[in-house]
Amino acid sequence: MSAAEREPTLSVTDLHKSYGTLHVLKGVSLSVARGEVVTLIGASGSGKSTLLRCMNLLELPQAGALQTGRHRFAFGKGQPLPRDAELALLRRDVGMVFQHFNLFPHMTALQNVTEGPIQVRNMSKAESIELGRGLLAKVGLADKADTFPAKLSGGQKQRVAIARALAMKPDVMLFDEVTSALDPELVQEVLTVIRELAAEGMTMILVTHEMAFAADVSTRVGFMNDGILAELGSVEEVIRRPQNPRLIAFLNRFHGSRSG
Amino acid sequence: MYAWDFAALKPYWSLIWQGLGVTLFYTVTTVLAGLLIGLIVGILRTAGPRWTSMPLRAYIETFRCTPLLVQLIWVYYALPVLIGVDMSAAMACFIALSLYAGAFYAEIFRGGIEAVDRGQWEAGRAIGMRRSKIFRRIVLPQAIQVMIPAFISQTILQLKNTSLVSVVAVGDLLYQGTVITAASYRPLEVYTTIAVVYFVVLFPLTLVADRLERRLGAHR
Repeated sequence: MSAAEREPTLSVTDLHKSYGTLHVLKGVSLSVARGEVVTLIGASGSGKSTLLRCMNLLELPQAGALQTGRHRFAFGKGQPLPRDAELALLRRDVGMVFQHFNLFPHMTALQNVTEGPIQVRNMSKAESIELGRGLLAKVGLADKADTFPAKLSGGQKQRVAIARALAMKPDVMLFDEVTSALDPELVQEVLTVIRELAAEGMTMILVTHEMAFAADVSTRVGFMNDGILAELGSVEEVIRRPQNPRLIAFLNRFHGSRSG
Repeated sequence: MYAWDFAALKPYWSLIWQGLGVTLFYTVTTVLAGLLIGLIVGILRTAGPRWTSMPLRAYIETFRCTPLLVQLIWVYYALPVLIGVDMSAAMACFIALSLYAGAFYAEIFRGGIEAVDRGQWEAGRAIGMRRSKIFRRIVLPQAIQVMIPAFISQTILQLKNTSLVSVVAVGDLLYQGTVITAASYRPLEVYTTIAVVYFVVLFPLTLVADRLERRLGAHR
């Protein structure tokens, strides 16, 4: 059964997003099935991060629809804007990891991870600590539980951020250029964690510039260009044998800048 | 050479203690009232409805851009006439000092809240927290850390500013100083002593502030 035929975990339909006169998303539809890893590539300003941020409604689109699990949102004329409480319910089930980690600096690594389960899922403290320690161990940071973010390296911070998102037991995880702010030697430790999640069957949508990683981990790759999803297909179709001239240009420029 | 005679003040020490009590009373009550005003105004200034912005700004700038002494006298002499109620000097001092402190604390709160990275709000939203909870659990604790130095120095100023209440004959430390001077004819000893008392109260406060700042910033 192909990915598109299965029940989608998350789907967006005809999303439009503008900032003033700048039309960033010009009608994007994407349906992601359970266990899929979809990578979004494209030049900066192509709208890929905006698309990702519309998937947990950190950005509210002006038109279109979002559906994941029991959460359905429609945007456009005559549609009321979702309330804070509805958005919060959606985001419990859609995890997100940011480029700049955004760890809570006044909490230890463990407290960062347990904050969501305790405050949002109403989990008991003991249970959440067990969960949190387990997740920190999973990302290789069992010994850093009581360390504050300021004492962690970038790669360690990002792994804590991944554990924090996983602690909410999300149906789908969004990764927004999570290695872009890291020193090159710290990139692999974060990618390794993501790779393990993929192997476990976690549904994930990633925006990344790590092309080799994208080729390695993705079930499908989408190429964003000028506010539309210009290409969507297998790694083979999109990265190895691109047809679209803009995609070819993008990939060439990319390889050029990486080897240079 | 002037012949110092601090022993001459001996009969008046009870007045000095009494004055210090009044000074501390005004400091504590107006700092608490000012904090409450400042917290509410500061939050409204960062996240409140748009129509509150202009009047709050007007309040803050009025109290920041006029001298406290003028405010005090205005509240004591002019306000009762305008609103047609009698106001005791003590009440006028409390109101003026609280509003004055509130204006400054509001700006400190606002600055602290706005200094917290936008990404902190996003991280809170991304794990499904509501706005009020993000503010309470994530943003405010970080904002308070940023605010502490400014908050302490404003509070120290507030204690010193209470000396202005002596102008409307409220019996604070400085006022008692003038009373004692009139009785003892020893202004040098009296005002030196008054200055030392202020210093002895405030200096430990600055030390506590330094320690608090270090401790709260321990994880940075």
